[in-house]
Amino acid sequence: MSSSHQVISHGSPLSPPTRRELIARHGFFNWFFRTARGDAPYQRVLIHLVLIAACVITVYPLTRILSVSLRPGDALLSTTMEVIPENATFAAYYNVIVQREFLIWIWNSIIVALSGSFIGVAIAATGAYAFSRWDFPLKVPALIFLLCTQMIPAPMMVVPIYIIAANLGILNSWIGIIVAYSVQSTPFSIWILKGYYDTVPYELEQQAMVDGSSHLGAFYRIILPLSTPALAIAFLFNFTQAWNDWVLARVMLTNDLYYTWPLGVNRLQGQFTTLWSEFYAASFMISIPVLALFLASSRFLISGLTLGSVKD
Amino acid sequence: MRRIGILCLVLMVVGAFGAFANGQQEVEGLVEFDLWTQADEATNELPYLESLVEEYMEENDLVSIDVADMGTEDLREDFQTASIAGEAPELLWTVNDHAGPFTLARIIQPIDDIWEPIGDNLVEPEVLDDQVYGIPITSGNHLMLMYNKQYMDEPPQDTDEFKQMAQDIADEHGVHGFSYNATEPFWLVPWLGGFGGEVFAADGVTPTLDTPEMVQTLEFLYEIQHEWDFMPAEPDADTTDSLFQEGEVAMIISGDWAIGSYEDELGDDFGVARIPRVSETGEWPQPYTSGKYWMVANHVEGETREIIEDFIHWSLTEERQLELTQTVGALPAHVDVLDHPEITEDPILAGSASQLEVGTPMPSVPQMRANWDAMRVEMNLVLADDKDPAQAAADMQQGAEAAIEDMDIDDQL
Amino acid sequence: MERFTLGFVISSLEEAGSIILGIVLVVVLLQVIAYVVLHHGLKARLALPLTLLVPAAVGLAVLTGYPLLYNVWLAFTNMSLQHISPHVDPDFGVGQFIANIRRVFTRPVLHSEHFFPVFGRTVAYTALQVTFHVSIGLFLAMCLNRRMKLRGIYRTLILIPWAIPQIVAVLTWRTEFHFQYGFVNILLRNFGHSGFFWLSDRMTNWIAFNLVNIWLGVPFMSVILLGGLQSIDPNYYEAAEIDGATWRQRFRNITLPMIRPVLTPAAILGWIWTFNMFNVPYFINARNFESSDILVTALFRAAFEYNRYGFAAAFSIVVFVILLIFTVFYVKISGLELTKKASQKMK
Repeated sequence: MSSSHQVISHGSPLSPPTRRELIARHGFFNWFFRTARGDAPYQRVLIHLVLIAACVITVYPLTRILSVSLRPGDALLSTTMEVIPENATFAAYYNVIVQREFLIWIWNSIIVALSGSFIGVAIAATGAYAFSRWDFPLKVPALIFLLCTQMIPAPMMVVPIYIIAANLGILNSWIGIIVAYSVQSTPFSIWILKGYYDTVPYELEQQAMVDGSSHLGAFYRIILPLSTPALAIAFLFNFTQAWNDWVLARVMLTNDLYYTWPLGVNRLQGQFTTLWSEFYAASFMISIPVLALFLASSRFLISGLTLGSVKD
Repeated sequence: MRRIGILCLVLMVVGAFGAFANGQQEVEGLVEFDLWTQADEATNELPYLESLVEEYMEENDLVSIDVADMGTEDLREDFQTASIAGEAPELLWTVNDHAGPFTLARIIQPIDDIWEPIGDNLVEPEVLDDQVYGIPITSGNHLMLMYNKQYMDEPPQDTDEFKQMAQDIADEHGVHGFSYNATEPFWLVPWLGGFGGEVFAADGVTPTLDTPEMVQTLEFLYEIQHEWDFMPAEPDADTTDSLFQEGEVAMIISGDWAIGSYEDELGDDFGVARIPRVSETGEWPQPYTSGKYWMVANHVEGETREIIEDFIHWSLTEERQLELTQTVGALPAHVDVLDHPEITEDPILAGSASQLEVGTPMPSVPQMRANWDAMRVEMNLVLADDKDPAQAAADMQQGAEAAIEDMDIDDQL
Repeated sequence: MERFTLGFVISSLEEAGSIILGIVLVVVLLQVIAYVVLHHGLKARLALPLTLLVPAAVGLAVLTGYPLLYNVWLAFTNMSLQHISPHVDPDFGVGQFIANIRRVFTRPVLHSEHFFPVFGRTVAYTALQVTFHVSIGLFLAMCLNRRMKLRGIYRTLILIPWAIPQIVAVLTWRTEFHFQYGFVNILLRNFGHSGFFWLSDRMTNWIAFNLVNIWLGVPFMSVILLGGLQSIDPNYYEAAEIDGATWRQRFRNITLPMIRPVLTPAAILGWIWTFNMFNVPYFINARNFESSDILVTALFRAAFEYNRYGFAAAFSIVVFVILLIFTVFYVKISGLELTKKASQKMK
């Protein structure tokens, strides 16, 4: 653990003292516990410990999932605690990929979730901008209504949505499910994005508009880039909602060529029997694209721009 | 990476125009219908059904059947939802207890005329209000005793022997003597039958749960869980299944759906027998039996109905029923196939068939759901040492009655 | 794998492509029409913001507006299993609505418990959960909100509960809570405790379900709050540090007020989701203890297992109204600035 990040040369003649110099100057105890600026080293150690503990707790179930997926037979529970079981086998992975249409399920899920979240975030990004920057009649009730849409228990939505979809003739096609996914998370995205836009000072757009940009131009060139963390969060949320959705997919897609993974994986679970190893193998593989997406998006979750440009 | 992106984009744009340009081609005289099933992927039942449909469509060019599979409860809910929207599938392959609610809701139709020509070959159909609503495909779906021959040569014959045997094995081998899915009342009803009780009065819809037989049953379940020392703690489906596969338990009670995987796992050590007689009464426990049935949606008529009739008849021939038993491992509905050497000479299937003989058909009336829920809650409280059996039986009855009252079942309709 | 062919991939890309293109065209068209009508036709001052809102409004009207109205209609009927068939229409009327509402409060929700005990438990559970989600989430976010080694890795790993399919995660936890074979008790035994009956004891089952829900809810909250923390200008902290502000003062006077625009909506949404959480209470409670049911699981059983559609719709409206009142109340007392800033700055 070190503060070596801060030692990156800034090209200035007064580069900060190195760790060794600091210890030599203040003595180890003072350096470790009483560094005045930034985090003291002992704080850094503590923070790392806390985060490691948190990671262990969050990662643990994934190791169990891995473990079950590698077991021969279909036992969910194990009398042993080891992660890699005796006679570990990739048979379940082979079965899921080769004998079942796992690739179709994943492919469909990726297409539907990506399309749905792109459209959803785009709609919400502009909508939230209107909420953040203008006052219009019924604005507060409208915002509250958005929240209300989240209050209807999901099971109660199934019957009416099915009826609409059946009447529009969009069961078993992607148009229905993609539109549904785009709209599904819009209220959340609008709330989060509005909250974020609110933290961006108005002077920035006004400056741009004085410089000759249109209002929308200012939004696209100033606000959107500044809001990447919130956009990334909204996108991730939209994506995971669509990715994990089972309630809507179940009623809208019955043709197995359109199956998304929750429908496909559900096939592995019977009334009293479940192909646990295949179920868990599929689950493990399903977690990977999401994790990859999280990793890829992590640089967008950090806004480099705001820190520099929003000084009043 | 960018090239792939551009390629995708081009494909999308091309596709966009393509999709608008290209309409659907209609085949003259084609009969299309949907078939929903809750068949298990896990037991080969779904692949069997799919191949059956494939074969039928190959023989009949002008028929197109779309198979959709879903969970048992999902099928019930979705079929009801689809019926509200007027989009229900035409044909169902599902469990018999769905016939009750579907009949009450009038979303399936009587099929006596389809049953008539083939009825003599098959076991009992699902009859409600004196009309046939379900034609059997398989019979069984029942619980039985399964044991590991590593620990015992002969299965116990009555419950006294059973308890002693389980305890001896536990003491001697350091494994569990017995386990079952103690969270589901489906595992309680066989014992209730063994003690001479029933869940409904003679009218078939009035719960009779607050009875001495129920109290005895609960006491028995409590006794083997807490007063002996041969069961695992918190036994449920997953525990039972895992322990049995790992050879950590000598006897379990499970259903015919699990036979296939246990045969693979335990090989010759795997044995099947009747659940032992209840020593107090000398009666065999009576597990619920059901099976898979064909049901036809209410709106089906005309040519589609004729095709469906033909398909049902075609699917239930002796040869296809035998094939079903061989692939799925479930007992067939065809009586001749039940006597086939394939079944009588297979010790496992024969054991399953022998248990079936003392089984009792599972009630399919919607009121049964209220019974199930009431039993589940109270049974779990007894086993958690949270309530005494007499009180639990009384509360069961009350819970079931309240739930039935709230279901608003109107006899006048 | 047989059916996963290049042809399949291309045709699905085509279908998705045409749909996206179609949606984009429709959205743009809607906006252009709205703008022309509002701006040139009606000469509305707010033409631009209203135009921006049109797509979201249309989508929500169809996909949540209609279902909402449908549920209201259901609540005024005696819709049940016997009225599903198109040939038997349910009775409709205010009397039905009153009867349904009365049942919500006078009949046991499922077996023996009435509405208010279940409601009280649901509120207690929600309050507890949101408190944990926000406080642990904020704590982790603050830990992560600094330049440090391994930050990217921590951030990704902490998000894992969000990446695992929820039902799988819950089923996994259920096995880990098993008395004999679950990890939780094995860990406890290492500390000399004999373990708890997490699955079969009513009280501990409730605790188990709360623990799982905390595990599930914290990651998301911490990422949202990290996003909020990122938007705070570090100069504030530097200035405060130079002025000798303590850690606590900095938290109170800089962090909290600055992340409020993000924290408040996140907390409200967290409240609503937790209140309506289904998977965790439903699956951890495999033994159907009423004592581990919350309103939405009870509602689910009433609607779908007993087919009491009219009753369930009335029930969901009651829940809905309660949440609505709470939200309005919370928005008021939390002083969430929904309008103030906009009126000050934009004309």
